[in-house]
Amino acid sequence: MTQLLLFNVFNGLIVGAFYALMALGLSLILNLSGVINFAHGGFLALGAYIAYTLIPYVGFWGGLAIAPFATAAVGIVVEWALIRRLYGRDPLYSLLLTFGLAYIFEDVLRAIWGAQSVPYPIPPELSTPLSSQFFFLTGYRLFMVGLAALVVLALFLILNRTRLGMRIRAGTADLETVSVLGINVRILRTLNFGLGIYLAGLAGVLAAGMLGLQPTIGTSLIMPSFVAIIVGGLGSLPGTLLGGLLIGLAAGITAVFFPSATEAVMYVMMGLVLLVRPRGLLGEEGRVS
Amino acid sequence: MATRMPKHGVNRRTLLKAAAATGALQVAGPFIIAARGEEPVKIGLDNPLTGTYAAVGKNELIGCQLALEQINAKGGILGRQAELLVEDSTSGDAGTAVQKARKLIERDKVNFLLGNVNSALALAMADVSSEKGVLHIVPGGHTDAVTGATCHWNVFRVCNTTQMEANAVTPTLIKNAGKKWYFITPDYAFGHTLQAGLEKAGGKAGYTKVGGDLTPLGTTDFSSYLIKAQAANPDVIIFLTQGDDMINALKQAVQFGLDKRFHLAGGQQELEALEGLPPEARIGTWVFEWYWNQPNVPHVKDFVDAIKKKTGRVPTARTWFGFASTWSCALAANEAKSLDAVKMAKALSGLKLPPEVSLMPDQAFYRVGQNQLIPNLFVGQAQAKGSAPDDLFKVTEVVKGTDAAGTLEETGCKMKWPV
Repeated sequence: MTQLLLFNVFNGLIVGAFYALMALGLSLILNLSGVINFAHGGFLALGAYIAYTLIPYVGFWGGLAIAPFATAAVGIVVEWALIRRLYGRDPLYSLLLTFGLAYIFEDVLRAIWGAQSVPYPIPPELSTPLSSQFFFLTGYRLFMVGLAALVVLALFLILNRTRLGMRIRAGTADLETVSVLGINVRILRTLNFGLGIYLAGLAGVLAAGMLGLQPTIGTSLIMPSFVAIIVGGLGSLPGTLLGGLLIGLAAGITAVFFPSATEAVMYVMMGLVLLVRPRGLLGEEGRVS
Repeated sequence: MATRMPKHGVNRRTLLKAAAATGALQVAGPFIIAARGEEPVKIGLDNPLTGTYAAVGKNELIGCQLALEQINAKGGILGRQAELLVEDSTSGDAGTAVQKARKLIERDKVNFLLGNVNSALALAMADVSSEKGVLHIVPGGHTDAVTGATCHWNVFRVCNTTQMEANAVTPTLIKNAGKKWYFITPDYAFGHTLQAGLEKAGGKAGYTKVGGDLTPLGTTDFSSYLIKAQAANPDVIIFLTQGDDMINALKQAVQFGLDKRFHLAGGQQELEALEGLPPEARIGTWVFEWYWNQPNVPHVKDFVDAIKKKTGRVPTARTWFGFASTWSCALAANEAKSLDAVKMAKALSGLKLPPEVSLMPDQAFYRVGQNQLIPNLFVGQAQAKGSAPDDLFKVTEVVKGTDAAGTLEETGCKMKWPV
């Protein structure tokens, strides 16, 4: 029993790292632009399908390198053409827009690549467990966690050490003042949106290695990300990271005792956090996005 | 937050938008095939085209379309051309499915209703069709109740009940994989009834249940369940998940190397899922409800070729479900020499499908008193490579439906006909 629990704790952290990666992209966009991006799952699926199409030509690693950038490019076009027009308005407008976009993405993907799951190859050296005792530690999952950690580190460095990052953080705190200081807020938001979508594309490429790749792959992954943001606290990227890890952990532990509730447990957790500490674990006081 | 109010009045842009929307509506409306002649006979298909079941729903649609072409080429239904009206029921919204069913029956005045892949939606549609007295054929919703406890005189079903699948696969499962079973079961009607069916059939053969977990529908990460399953040390981990859940579960089990320590197998398997899996995960003992590679059965090759010509791929069990369902409409009307639902239902009850529709060794027939099609079931092994790229299943035994169906009393169906 102890071993079972220990295994599931480790395993939960692995899954949580993945949730965090997705949630960080959502969180970036939400913090700076106030847009609840329901189309995030669509971008995630798009990234995976782009990689799937590229892999025969450039291999798994080439796909992993190129596809997230290509997805970010599509994201920037969507932001420029559609989303930026709604920045001044009630968040409900952009929510409805991205909600519609999510459906459009799903149907476009279905029209291009078909409704049926496609087999997505991963390199053989990554697809085996490292030991038969710790069989859930496959090369691929460890690689995923390592990459997620690296990306999170890079993201925090960008936000804390570069001029762009400083502006994004400043804009999150007070966009009007940043704008008055002569910074082009439009371009800032576009770049920030692109960065968020890059993370979605990357998460998509990684997810396709573990799951069946079909047009709705993003839909089932997007809800845990929203929950991670709320649990961790709106406006706080470290909070989002923590939230992702926590819900992965909670799902893992629940699977040992009450398996059919693994999905429900994260919503229970969200409810508890909202009741006891509405701003989230690491959220700032009084912030309402 | 500041909200800009939209300006009133119609300008050039608004007009353009309206024009574009009107154009889009025409694309979005139901599409109609082969509408020739004065008053065509209408078949309404209310089945998923979007969401989780989009892939299998699409394959059923292709089967329906081929059947329709053949029916019209052979003179139609009662000498009139037939047409197919297609509506997207969504994959899980019973409200939409019922509304579309009502639209097809009340506004389009269809003579036949087909659907649904999702068992819950099939049951909801059956309530509407029986209230309206329209002949209704369920191509691919498996839960037992459709032709069991809540059977109706006007509702027929082509695919098997979960109990039939369990009865067919259990002997081979025990022979190939062993008697200690651990279940990974999706937490909804289909999973529950399939597991109950396997436990019932396994009980007769002396199996032991060493454990099992119910997994929420749409689970992406199966690792925590697999950790539990291996700790219970079964002979075989039985996967009853379907569609994307099946792909996710099997793919992860194989990445964990569990296929080298246990047998991985299950009940129902579909070609759509095997095609979505990487080759190393195409393993295990399963039951297929129809399979395209039947070299010695007449007419099967013609059917496979016709579908390949349409789509470039071989037909799946789903394609056949759609095909057999649509043909059943024509057979019922032509046999009854009428479009009266009661007369057609009486004609269809007990009817044997002709070999060019049945497409299996023993002719499938609709069992009297239950309206359930009794076909052959194909038990065998999934395989990474076969005689052709699409040959992902090796049939080792063809089970007679009459051996798998159990007695009429066991189904719980008490059929009431209108007086």
